[in-house]
Amino acid sequence: MLTAIAVFFPLLGAALAGLLGRPAGDRASQVVSILCMVIASAAGIAAAVLLGIGATEPGTIEITNWISAGTFRVSWALRNDTLSAVMVAMVSTVSMLIHVYSVGYMAHEDRPCWRFFSYISLFSFAMLMLVTADNILQLFFGWEGVGLMSYLLIGYWYYKPAANAAAIKAFVVNRVADLFFTVGIALLFFQFGTLSFSDIFAAVPSHAAHHYELFGASLPVLEVIGVLLFIGAMGKSAQLFLHTWLPDAMEGPTPISALIHAATMVTAGVFLVARMSPLMEYAPIALSVVAVIGGSTSFFAATIACAQDDIKKVIAYSTCSQLGYMFAAAGVGAFDISIFHLITHAFFKSLLFLGAGSVIHAMSGEQDMRRMGGLWNKIPITYSVMWVGFLALAGIPFFSGFYSKDAILDAALGTPGGVAFYAYITGVAAAFLTAFYSWRVLFMTFHGTSRAEPHVQEHVHESPAVMTVPLILLAVGSAIVGYSLDGTFIGLHWQSFWGASIVTLPGSNPFTHMESIHGVVKWIPTLVGLAGLATALLFYILVPWIPGWLATRFRPIHVFLVKKWYFDEIYDAIFVRGALALARLLWKVGDVAVIDGVPNGIATLTTDSSGEVVKLQTGSVAQYAFAMVLGVVILVAVFLLFR
Amino acid sequence: MPVGLGHYLAVSAILLVLGVFGIFLNRKNVIIILMSIELILLSVNLNLVAFSASLGDLVGQVFTMFVLTVAAAEAAIGLAIVVVYFRNRGSIEVEDVTMMKG
Amino acid sequence: MNWQIALPEIVLALSGMAILLFGVLYRRDASVPCNMLTLGAFLVAAFLVLSTPDGSGYGDLFVVDAFSRFVKILILAGAALALMLSFDYNRHEGIARFEFPVLILFAVVGMMTMVSAANLMTLYLGLELQLISLYVVTAFNRTAIRSSEAALKYFVLGALASGLLLYGISLVYGFAGSTSFAALASALNAPGGASPGLVVGIVFVIAGLVFEVSAVPFHMWTPDVYEGAPTPVTVFIGTAPKVAGMALLLRTLSTPFGHLSLDWRLLIELVSLGSMILGALAAIGQTNFKRLMAYSAIGHMGYTLIGLAAGTEAGLRGALIYLVVYVFMNVGIFAGIIAMRRHGRVFEQISDLAGLARTDPALALAFAVFLFSMAGIPPLAGFFGKLYVFLAAVQAGMWTLAIIGVLTSVVGAYYYIRIVKVMFMDAPAPAIDQRPAMVSFVAAATGLFTVFFVLFSAPIVAAAQAAAQVLFG
Repeated sequence: MLTAIAVFFPLLGAALAGLLGRPAGDRASQVVSILCMVIASAAGIAAAVLLGIGATEPGTIEITNWISAGTFRVSWALRNDTLSAVMVAMVSTVSMLIHVYSVGYMAHEDRPCWRFFSYISLFSFAMLMLVTADNILQLFFGWEGVGLMSYLLIGYWYYKPAANAAAIKAFVVNRVADLFFTVGIALLFFQFGTLSFSDIFAAVPSHAAHHYELFGASLPVLEVIGVLLFIGAMGKSAQLFLHTWLPDAMEGPTPISALIHAATMVTAGVFLVARMSPLMEYAPIALSVVAVIGGSTSFFAATIACAQDDIKKVIAYSTCSQLGYMFAAAGVGAFDISIFHLITHAFFKSLLFLGAGSVIHAMSGEQDMRRMGGLWNKIPITYSVMWVGFLALAGIPFFSGFYSKDAILDAALGTPGGVAFYAYITGVAAAFLTAFYSWRVLFMTFHGTSRAEPHVQEHVHESPAVMTVPLILLAVGSAIVGYSLDGTFIGLHWQSFWGASIVTLPGSNPFTHMESIHGVVKWIPTLVGLAGLATALLFYILVPWIPGWLATRFRPIHVFLVKKWYFDEIYDAIFVRGALALARLLWKVGDVAVIDGVPNGIATLTTDSSGEVVKLQTGSVAQYAFAMVLGVVILVAVFLLFR
Repeated sequence: MPVGLGHYLAVSAILLVLGVFGIFLNRKNVIIILMSIELILLSVNLNLVAFSASLGDLVGQVFTMFVLTVAAAEAAIGLAIVVVYFRNRGSIEVEDVTMMKG
Repeated sequence: MNWQIALPEIVLALSGMAILLFGVLYRRDASVPCNMLTLGAFLVAAFLVLSTPDGSGYGDLFVVDAFSRFVKILILAGAALALMLSFDYNRHEGIARFEFPVLILFAVVGMMTMVSAANLMTLYLGLELQLISLYVVTAFNRTAIRSSEAALKYFVLGALASGLLLYGISLVYGFAGSTSFAALASALNAPGGASPGLVVGIVFVIAGLVFEVSAVPFHMWTPDVYEGAPTPVTVFIGTAPKVAGMALLLRTLSTPFGHLSLDWRLLIELVSLGSMILGALAAIGQTNFKRLMAYSAIGHMGYTLIGLAAGTEAGLRGALIYLVVYVFMNVGIFAGIIAMRRHGRVFEQISDLAGLARTDPALALAFAVFLFSMAGIPPLAGFFGKLYVFLAAVQAGMWTLAIIGVLTSVVGAYYYIRIVKVMFMDAPAPAIDQRPAMVSFVAAATGLFTVFFVLFSAPIVAAAQAAAQVLFG
C-alpha cells in the first residue's frame, strides 16, 4: 500500500500540475507537485524502513491485468522487496528535494514553468514504476517512460538548438541500446514463456545448460540474454561506447541533470543488472563483460573529466565514471555493494549538481570554470556543501563515498580472476583521477582570483533558502548515509537485509574473499585519493603554471582528453554520416524514385486512362449502339472459342 | 426447292442485321432508328413463328402475339419521346442528340 | 389454379389503374394524394409479398420463392424511397403530376413480374413493362432538353437491347424447344452440350439482361440517362431496376442455363472486370455529381457480378447482400444530391458542394458516410457488401476478379473521398437552401442503415442465404 502511494502520488502530482498550470499558474502547480512528492517520499521511506526492520514481508501488489493474449500474460503489479523499496525511498526523496530546489532555480525563467514541474513529477512516476516493476515488460514501460521524460527535459529549453540536438542525441543513443534490450526481453519470453520476474528467476537454473546454435557457434542462452540486457543498461547508464549522450544532456536545466542524469535514471541500468542478479549469476561471461565495461568506463570517463572546463561537463563525466564503478561491482558479483554505491552516489552527485547549479545561478548562467574563481567567501553555503560533496565523491574516509567505493575496490581485489583484477586497477587509477578533478573544480571555481566579467562579479549572490535547504539536506545525507548504512547494506550479513531480492551463487560471494584483505592494501584507495587531492593542490594553488605547461608539453594527450577521446568525432564519421548517406540514398532512390514514383506514376496512368475512357463516351446514340453490337459479337466469339 | 426452316432463319438473320446496322450506320433521322427497331422485332417474330411451325409447338406463336403488342406500345412511346425531343430541340437529326457526353 | 401467388402483382396493377382513374377524375391537383396512395399500395404489396406462400402457377409461367420474395421487398423499398425523394423535387421543378407515381408503380409491377418469371415469356413481358414505364418517367420533364435527350437515348438503346434479348430468346426457343425455365434446364442438361445456335441465343439473352444492370459493354446509356433524367428518376433507375435486372440475371443464369455455368462464367467475369475498371477510371474526371454516380453504379454492378461469376451459393449470397447495401447507399447519396438546391435552382456540379461542412454540417456528414461506404471503408455497410463478394470470389479461386476488384476499389476510394475533401476542406460556397423534411428523413434513415448495418446484418445475411439456396437447390 505504501509503495502504491509512493508510486502513484507523483503521477497525480504530474497530472494536477499539468492541468492546473495554465489556469492556476506556476505557484499552484509547484505547490501541488511538491506536496505529492512529499507524500510519496514519506511513503517510500516508510515502506523501506518497515521492510528493512522486518515489519512487513516482501510481496507484490497486483493492480490489474495488462496483456492477456494466448499464453502471453502480463499484469500491472508493484513488487515490494528490499531492492525496490530502497530504490523507491531514494528516488522519491531525491526527487522531492530537487522539486523544492527547482522552485528557486526556475524562478528566473521568463516563461511559465508549470510544464517543468509536471514533467519532473511524471519522470518520478516513470522511474518509480521502473524500480517497482514486477515483470520485465512493466520495467520496460518505466524504462521508456524515463527515456521520454529525459528527452523532454533535456530539450526543455526547446528554443535552444543545442538543447534540441542533445535531446535527440540522448533519444537516439538510447534507441540503439533499447533495440538490444527488447531483443533480450523477447528472448526471455521465448525461453521462459513468461515475463514475470519471480517465474523467470525460479526457472533460471533449469535453463542453465540450454544453448542457441547460431552460425555454427553454440551460445549459452543465459549468457546471450545477460549480454543483451546489459547492452540496454549500457545505453541508459551511459557506459563506454554508449556514453556520448550524457555530457550533452547537460544542456537541460541543472535540476534535471541532478535528478535524471546523476541520481536516478542513469542508475536504472545498474538497477536492472542487480534486479536480474539471479539470472546474471548463471551468466559468468556476461558478468565479466559487465566488469570490464564498468572498469573501463570508470577510468576513461575520469581522464576526460580532468580536462574539461565546463563545470557541469566535469560532473557529468564524473557520473559516468561512478556508474562504471557500480557496474564493476556488479560484474564481480557484488550486487549489494553496487546498489550501496548507487544510493550514496545519488546523494553526493545530486548535491554536486545542485551545488554547481547554485554556482551557475550565482554567476548569472556562466558554466565555464575558466571564468570563475574566488567565489568561496561570496557564496559560503554553496562552497561548504560542495566540499562535502567532493569529499564524498573522492572517497575520503568517513564520508559516504568512502564506504561504498572502498567496498567496490576491495570486492574487485578479493575476487579471483583477471577480469576482477582489471576492474581493481582501473578503479584505483580512477580513484586518483577522481580526487584530482574534484579539487580541480573546487580550486578553479572557488579559489584564486576571480576571472569573471565585472558586471557578473557584482551580481554574485548566495542562492535563496529554497535552494540552499535542499543542498544542506543532501550534504548531510552525503556525509552520513555511507556510515549509517554500511553495516546493513553490505558486509557479511548482507543477505539478512536484501533477502531474496539479490541473489549470488554460494561460491561467488565477494565478502568471503574481502576478509582476507589487510594492512596497507586496504588503505590503497584512500591513499590514492589523498594523492589526487595533493596533486590538484599542487597544480592549481601552489604552482599554477604546471597545468598550462603540461598542456603544451603533452599537447596530443591534452587535446585527446579535451576532445573526449574523439568518440563524438568517430561516431559522427561512422554512424551519423553513414546513416545520413544511407538515408540520402534511400530518400533519392528508394523514396523519390520508387515509393513516390511508382504510386505517382500509377496515379498519373490512372487519370490519363480516365481521360481516354471518357472519350469513348461520345454522346452519339449510333456509337453507343455500335458498342453494344460489338460487345455482343465479342461475347459470342469468346463463348464459342473458350467453352 | 422446298422452303425449309433454314431459309426462314436466314431471312430473319438478314432482317436483324439490317435493323442493327440501320441503328448505328444511320446518321440522319431518329425516325429511321424507330423503323430499324421494328425491323429487329419483325425478324424475331419471323424466327418465333418459323420455330413454332417447325417444332409443332404453339408457344412461339403466342409469344409472337405478345411481341407484336409490346412493339406497338414501344413504337407509340418512342414516337412520343421523339415528339417531345423535337419540341425542345427543333431537330431530330441523330448527330444532334449529343448534348451529354464524356 | 394457384392464382394467389401473383396476388401482390395483381393488387399492385389494379391499384395502379385505380390511382390513375382517381387522378383523372379528381378535380384539384391530384399529385399529392396519388403519391400517398402509391406509397400505400407499395406497403400493401410488401405485406402481400411477405405473406404469399411458395409455389408456381399460371402454367409454370410464374414462381414465388424465397429469392423472389427477398428481391421484391428490396425493389419495393428502393421504389418507395425514390418516390419519397420525388415529392419536393417534382413540385419545385413543376413536374408534380399524378402520372409520375403511377408510372413508377407500373415499372415496379414489371420488375416484380421479372423477378418471379419462370418462363422467358414472363421475363420479356415484365421487362418491357418496366422499360416502357422508365422511358416515360425519364422524359417526364417535358420542357427540359436534357430530360428528353436522355429518354431518347434510353429508348433507342433499350429497344435495341430488348430486340437482341428477344432474338436470343427466339433462338433459345428454337434450339432448345421450350421457353420454360424448368424445361430449358432439363434440355440443357442433356449430354453433348449446347449447339452453336443455342450458344448464340444464350449470349444474346445475356447481352439483353446485362443492359438492364448497365454493365460493360452495355453501359453506354447509363451516364447520359443518369445526368439527363430528373433526379428522382435517376434515383429510381439507379436502384430498383438494377436490383430487378440483377435478380433476373442471377435467376436466368443459374436456373435454366445453370448447367452451362462453366461456359457463361467466363463471360460474366469479363463483363464484371470491364465494369469495375471502367467504373473506376471514367468516374475520376467527372465534375457532374449525377454523372459520377452513373459511373459509380457501373462499377458497383461489376462488384455485384463478381458474386455471379463465382458461381457458388456464397457468391449469389454476396451479390444479394451487395444489392441491399447498394440500394440504401445509393438512395442516401441521391437524397443529398436532391438537397443540392440554391435559391430554388438545382445544381449538380461537385464543386458547388465546396465547404458544405461549414454551411450544412449534417448533410455533409451524411454525404461523408455514404461516400465512405461506397468506397468500402469499414465499418460502414459498403465494406461488408464488398467483403462478401470478394470472399466468395477468393473461395471460388477467382483471384483475378478479387485482386482487380480491390485495386479498382482503391481508385474508387480516390474519387469518392475527393468529394469529401471538397466538402470538408475547400473554401465554402454560398449556403444551400433549407432541406425538405422528406429528404432529411430519407437521408437519415439510409444513413443509419449504412452506419449500423454492421450491427443488424445477421437477419439480412440469413435471408440472402435462404434466397441463394433457392437458386442452387
